[in-house]
Amino acid sequence: MDVTRKKEILDKLAEAVVEFEEEQAREWSQIALDEGMDAFEAIMQGLAAGMETVGDLYDQQEYFVPELLMSADALYAGLDILKPHIRAEDQKNMGQVVIGTVQGDVHDIGKNIIKLMFEVGGFEVHDLGRDVPLEKFVEEQMKTDSEIVAMSAMMTTTMTGMKKVIEMIKEKNPDVAIMLGGAPVTRDVADLFGADGYAESAGNAVQEAIKMISNLRKLQEKA
Amino acid sequence: MDDNIAKIIFQPSGRRGEVPKDISIIEASRLLGADIEALCGEKKVCGKCKVRIEEGFFEKYGIDSKLSHVSGWQEEEEKFINTQDREAGYRLGCVAKVLGDLLVFVPEESRAGKQVVSKAARDILIEHNPAVKLFYVEVSKPTIEEPTGDFERICAALEKEHGLKDLKIDISTLRRLPTVLRQGGWKVTLSVWLDQEVIRVRPGKIEASYGLAVDIGTTTVAAYFCNLATMEVLDTVSMMNPQCKYGEDVMSRITYHMMNEGGLKKMSDDIVEALNTLIDQALSATYPPKKKVKKQKGEQGPDEWIEVPEEGKTYLRLTREDIEDITIGCNTAMHHILLQLDPEHVGMAPFPPVIHHSLDIKARDLGININPSSYVFVLPNEAGFVGADNVGVLIAEEPYNKDEIQLIIDIGTNGELVLGNKKKLISSSCATGPALEGAQLTYGMRAAPGAMERIRIDPETHDVDYKVIGRDAWRQFSEPKEMKAKGICGSGILDLLAELYKAGIVNKSGAFNKDGQKSNRFRKNPDNRQYEFVLAWAEETSIGKDIVVTQKDVRQIQLAKGALYAGCKLMVQRMGIEKVDKVKIAGAFGTHVDREKALIMGLFPDCDLEKIVSVGNAAGDGCRAALLNRDKRAEANWVSRNVEYIELTVEPNFQQEFMGAMHLPHMTDAFPHLKGLVPEEILNQK
Repeated sequence: MDVTRKKEILDKLAEAVVEFEEEQAREWSQIALDEGMDAFEAIMQGLAAGMETVGDLYDQQEYFVPELLMSADALYAGLDILKPHIRAEDQKNMGQVVIGTVQGDVHDIGKNIIKLMFEVGGFEVHDLGRDVPLEKFVEEQMKTDSEIVAMSAMMTTTMTGMKKVIEMIKEKNPDVAIMLGGAPVTRDVADLFGADGYAESAGNAVQEAIKMISNLRKLQEKA
Repeated sequence: MDDNIAKIIFQPSGRRGEVPKDISIIEASRLLGADIEALCGEKKVCGKCKVRIEEGFFEKYGIDSKLSHVSGWQEEEEKFINTQDREAGYRLGCVAKVLGDLLVFVPEESRAGKQVVSKAARDILIEHNPAVKLFYVEVSKPTIEEPTGDFERICAALEKEHGLKDLKIDISTLRRLPTVLRQGGWKVTLSVWLDQEVIRVRPGKIEASYGLAVDIGTTTVAAYFCNLATMEVLDTVSMMNPQCKYGEDVMSRITYHMMNEGGLKKMSDDIVEALNTLIDQALSATYPPKKKVKKQKGEQGPDEWIEVPEEGKTYLRLTREDIEDITIGCNTAMHHILLQLDPEHVGMAPFPPVIHHSLDIKARDLGININPSSYVFVLPNEAGFVGADNVGVLIAEEPYNKDEIQLIIDIGTNGELVLGNKKKLISSSCATGPALEGAQLTYGMRAAPGAMERIRIDPETHDVDYKVIGRDAWRQFSEPKEMKAKGICGSGILDLLAELYKAGIVNKSGAFNKDGQKSNRFRKNPDNRQYEFVLAWAEETSIGKDIVVTQKDVRQIQLAKGALYAGCKLMVQRMGIEKVDKVKIAGAFGTHVDREKALIMGLFPDCDLEKIVSVGNAAGDGCRAALLNRDKRAEANWVSRNVEYIELTVEPNFQQEFMGAMHLPHMTDAFPHLKGLVPEEILNQK
């Protein structure tokens, strides 16, 4: 494919995400496929690149939660079209992630955004939903043999459940990486509970996940 | 009738009383708590204190109000009152002096918000039927032929004269009975609770009895000291909830209990101590103020105090025993902590309370210092966090007795919503509190002296005018260093977002308009690289720093208002109705909220400004209603089980609605009633 044309398509895909234009995301994803662009490349260098920009805008507070969610909608619209066409060898399964909002808590906006990031990043996500009984996290991790368990809580009252889950999992499987997130969770709390990583808010998690993705993109570019 | 006194009543607040003649109407309004706007500090230059003197004889109040009962027209008034209005009776409150009885109507534009704690009792209709009533009996002495015991003796008299049957008596009162009976010469007054139990006996014929209605808010506790016989509110006392040190919001207090052994008891003891302090505060106000006696030179010994009663004032000199009934209303978490019921489960989905039903508990069992035999009535909880305080709002507003569909928004530290009418009622709660009370804002603070409580931004120059608590005059009428601003409180925050949006300083998504700035107040903070807007320059503050609102602050407010709006909209959709007949704003906020600003920022769905009403501390009014009318207690229990509770966060559209509601006034919903209030180009921006 012509280099200029490739850039044009990728720019249009990124723009669709930044401008939350679902229709444009769908349109140009289809164009990318029709003109023979590699699906994985279209996702990583187009859609995901747009998400990186969104992350920066969020960091500067120019974009806020509504904008984040609308960009995510556009991203998903494009993914729907491109994902089925990813070549088997590109499906570098980055790993498995078990994610959910802890028992007693029903807030999941942030959790859903992070789930998206993981999916874009090539992880296979097992979303347990919200108000997830503590034991279920353990069960699902064992069932899927996931490398990462990510838990979210929006209330100080439910946050305490995370500690129990970490204890239960580490007892059975000390190599699992556990990430905590949600408004009341702080680095101190995450350390206190014995977690391996944490994200302060949806925005930060996006940053963390985007950093993850941007590392992936660099790896993919080199490949 | 004293010649130097005049009777005044202010409408619509209903505040009335006697004031000395020859003071200005504004001064009179202050004495009676009617609050008229005094922007320029009574310098007669702002014209904001316009009032209307009504002519006529008002039988209900016994007032013959005449235009001639105020002092003559002054030329300063020419600027603000045209001939037509002058003929209708309009005068400037700072100019017109009281010369005779008056009925003064204060138009909307001239009403000022209440200072600091605005949990004042409203004038609502309550039928008189208190739970504790007094009964006087005269009995004959026991004789050989007729040696019946003291208690049975008075029971017989109570049955014969007052129809009371099957009475019980509290042990504490029983112990006093024999002495009091003989002290009173066999003539006594008994206080009887719910026609069931004798809780106090006093010698002779007594007609006065007192009670307390308490509203335990997450942040502020307010108590209304009432005369149970006359229904008069003698005094309103309030203080900060001492549990604030364990956390600003209910969740952190519940967490404190979960993480600290004995935490629940500690928090409970704290609030009980606060209640006892309020009780003593109310009681000591019934005594004259005291002055220390000056010692002679070289004189030793302890300090002596003498009373200095105010001229003409009657002092009731009440004691703890004189408080014979208490009602308490509070949200579910406060309720559980007070009663030491494990609040852990109420703090997690599905948020079940330990009990819904109301409770009658002996005050002494809770450690509350009033009449030893008396009961505390604790209002019932609805569901989840929608607790007894919301039930209080409902029995005060009675939406279940009306045809019109009301949306009642109670914004306190938590936000509770009730929608409906006599056919059906639904309720929900949304976590609005912290941001709207200043907690998470850079310069947010509680309502206290120095807090910016009203803010106006000039759309042309982007200059900021404001008023702080504790000072009547606005910034434009003052020297900068006179303002001593410290931060922004709730009502200022509500003003803020609307004003920023209206002036084009932020766009509808809430982001600062980098291109539309007209002043040097907009800047990028070099330390954190965030955009901010200066509201008060350092010289106007008492903290030596510019008071700013940052982009992050704006986002916090958006989150709060988004939650509230989404809650309202989802409830309206759930009910399947098109529009709402009335929007009532309750809570300490309600008294402050400028309804135009509330509509502009999109705090709730679009509606006619006239339909938006503030109902003050309706929760406290409900507690008072339950104190003064026992039927309200059964009504409270009925209401609490007949309001359907909706858990908003599990509604399928919640995320969608929440998202859209964060924009100003909304991402997509139309706001036809903002036409004319907001410039076209701003209202229609993409």
